[in-house]
Amino acid sequence: MLAITDLHASVGGTPILKGLTLSVGAGEVHAIMGPNGAGKSTLAHVLAGREGYEVTGGTAVFLGQDLLAMAPHERAAAGLFLGFQYPVEIPGVSNLLFLRTALNAQRKLRGEPEVSGAEFLKRVRAEAQALGLDMEMLKRPVNMGFSGGEKKRNEAFQMGILQPRFALLDETDSGLDIDALKVVADSINRFRGPDRGVLLITHYQRLLDHVRPDRVHILAAGRIVESGGPELALRLEAQGYGAIAA
Amino acid sequence: MRELPSRREEAWRWADLRLAERLRAVPAPANDALPDLDSLALVRPAARAVLAGGHAIESAGRPTHPAPDRSIAPHPLADIAAAEALAGLVVDVGEGEDGGLLECVHLGTSGAAHSVLRVELAAGARLTLVETIADAEADHWSNIRLDARLGEGAELVRILRIETVHGLASTRAHVALARAARLAEVSMIASPAAVRAETHVRLEGEGAEAVVNGVLLASGSAALDVVTRLQHEVPHTVSRQLWRLVAAGMGQASIAGGVAVARHAQKTDAAQSLRGLLLNRTAAVNLKPELEIFADDVACAHGCAVGEIDPLQRFYLESRGLPRPEARALLMQAFAAEALHALADPELSQPLADRLAGHLGALA
Repeated sequence: MLAITDLHASVGGTPILKGLTLSVGAGEVHAIMGPNGAGKSTLAHVLAGREGYEVTGGTAVFLGQDLLAMAPHERAAAGLFLGFQYPVEIPGVSNLLFLRTALNAQRKLRGEPEVSGAEFLKRVRAEAQALGLDMEMLKRPVNMGFSGGEKKRNEAFQMGILQPRFALLDETDSGLDIDALKVVADSINRFRGPDRGVLLITHYQRLLDHVRPDRVHILAAGRIVESGGPELALRLEAQGYGAIAA
Repeated sequence: MRELPSRREEAWRWADLRLAERLRAVPAPANDALPDLDSLALVRPAARAVLAGGHAIESAGRPTHPAPDRSIAPHPLADIAAAEALAGLVVDVGEGEDGGLLECVHLGTSGAAHSVLRVELAAGARLTLVETIADAEADHWSNIRLDARLGEGAELVRILRIETVHGLASTRAHVALARAARLAEVSMIASPAAVRAETHVRLEGEGAEAVVNGVLLASGSAALDVVTRLQHEVPHTVSRQLWRLVAAGMGQASIAGGVAVARHAQKTDAAQSLRGLLLNRTAAVNLKPELEIFADDVACAHGCAVGEIDPLQRFYLESRGLPRPEARALLMQAFAAEALHALADPELSQPLADRLAGHLGALA
C-alpha cells in the first residue's frame, strides 16, 4: 500500500531522514518507535507534503502513485490522512464547516458527488457519539479551546468522517489520559480493515497495548534500525532506546 | 474653489486623491450608459435610490438638493460635496417609526460627481441604510457626504459597500447620537482603485452606543484609506471598532482609527481592534490607532497587529483535502468575517458575507 524506499529528507538544510525504507501492506498496522530527534515527525510531515520538508532522495509510492510528486490536498484525496501530534487551532473556521468543505473537496478531486448536508450530519452524529464528542463543541472553531485530549479525539473524529485509506498517526497517544487513550485506540481499531493501512508513530508501548501492531520498527538517526513483531515494542519498553542505538 | 487636501497633511498621508485633482473641473455627464442596476443591489427588495454620476436616476426618500448640516465642523471633501452636489437624498423618519431598509446606490460614471445625503431619525425611530458605491468603465471621482442625526433611542444600521474598479470614491459620514441612540455600521471596501472613507461619530447623549466595523480588501494597486473618529462627549457612552484589512498585489490598505474622550466623559467604554493581513510582500497595511483621552475613569482597550497567513494553519487545511487557494480563502474569510458580526440581521449579513467570500476567493 505504502512503499518508502531509501528516503532522505532535510529540514532547513539539516538532513533528518537518511535512507529510510519501509513498506506497509493493505490490512496492516505498523508502529514506528524511536527516541526524540530520530525523525519520526519529520517522516509524517514529509509523507503529508508539508512545505519546508525537503525530500533530497528516495521514493514513496502510495497505492501505485508517486506520493512525493503530489500536492498535500491530492495526497489527502488519494486516501492519506495525517493525524497531527499537535493539532492546529484555527480561529474563525467552524470545525464542521471545515470538515464538510474538506470532504467535498476530496470527493470532487476523486470525481465523486458531493455529500448532502443530511448524509454528512448523519456521519457526524455517529462518529461524535463513538468518540464521546459533544456536537456543540464540534461547531466551534477548529481546535479552539479544546483540551489536549479533545484535540486528539478531534483528529480521530476527522479520520472517521473523511474515511481515508491510510492513516498516518503522529503521536496520537501523547497527552491522553487512560480513558481517552482507550477511546482513540478504539477508533483506530474500528478503522482497521483489509483494504486499509495504519502507521502509528509513538514513543511508548502503551498505545500498542490497545492497538496491536503487525510490525514494529525502530527509527534512530533517520533510518529504520530494527524491525520485528509486537514483541519488539515490549523489549524496547524494558531495555530503552539506549540499547538499540548502541 | 476649495483646496484639496495634500498628502503632506498627517490626516491625508495615505489618501490617493490624484483623480480628484484631475477630474475636479470635469462634471459627470447626465446621460452615460448605465449598467444593470439590479445586479448592484445588495438586498432585494428594498426601497432604492440611485444616483449615477451625481444625478438622481431613481429615488426613494425625498430626492432633493439637500442643504448640509451647517453645525458640523468643516471638512475639505465633505464641504466640496455640499457646495457642488447636483442631487442627493433626505430621509426623515418620524418619532417611533421604522423607516425600514433603504438602499442608496452611487454609480461613478465619468468625471466628478458629488452628492449629499441627510438622515434625520426622530426619537425611537429606526432605519437601515445600505450605501453602495460602484462604477462603470471609466475614471471618476465620486464624492459623498452623509450627515446623520439620531434622536433619543433612535437606531441606525448603516452598511457601506464600496466595490469600485476604476475611480476614486470618497465618503465622509458624520453621525450624531443623542441619549441612548445606537449606530451599527459595517463597511466592506473591496477595490483595486482609490478610496477614502471617513466615519465621524459624536456620542452626545448618555447611554449612546456606536459600533463601527469594517473590512478592507486592497488588490491591484489600490490605495484604500479609512479614517474613523468616535468622539465620546458625555459620560456613560460605548463604542466598538473592529477593522480587518487585507492587502494583496501592490495594494495598500490603511486605517487611522480614532477614539476621543472628552474631559468630563467619565465611564466611557471604548474598544478598538485593528488587524492587517498581508497576502504578499509587495502589499502594504498601515494601522494607526489614535487615542485622545482626557478623562481618567474610562476603559479604552485597543489592539493592533499585522500578519500573514499562517503556513501551519494552511497546511492543516490542505492535509485534510483543501486545495491551497481554498485553504487560503477559508483562512482569509475567518480573518475578515468577524467585522460583519455587528449586523444582527442575517438578511443583511449573509449577502454581505457572500460578497466578501467572492472577493476573497478572487484574491486567494
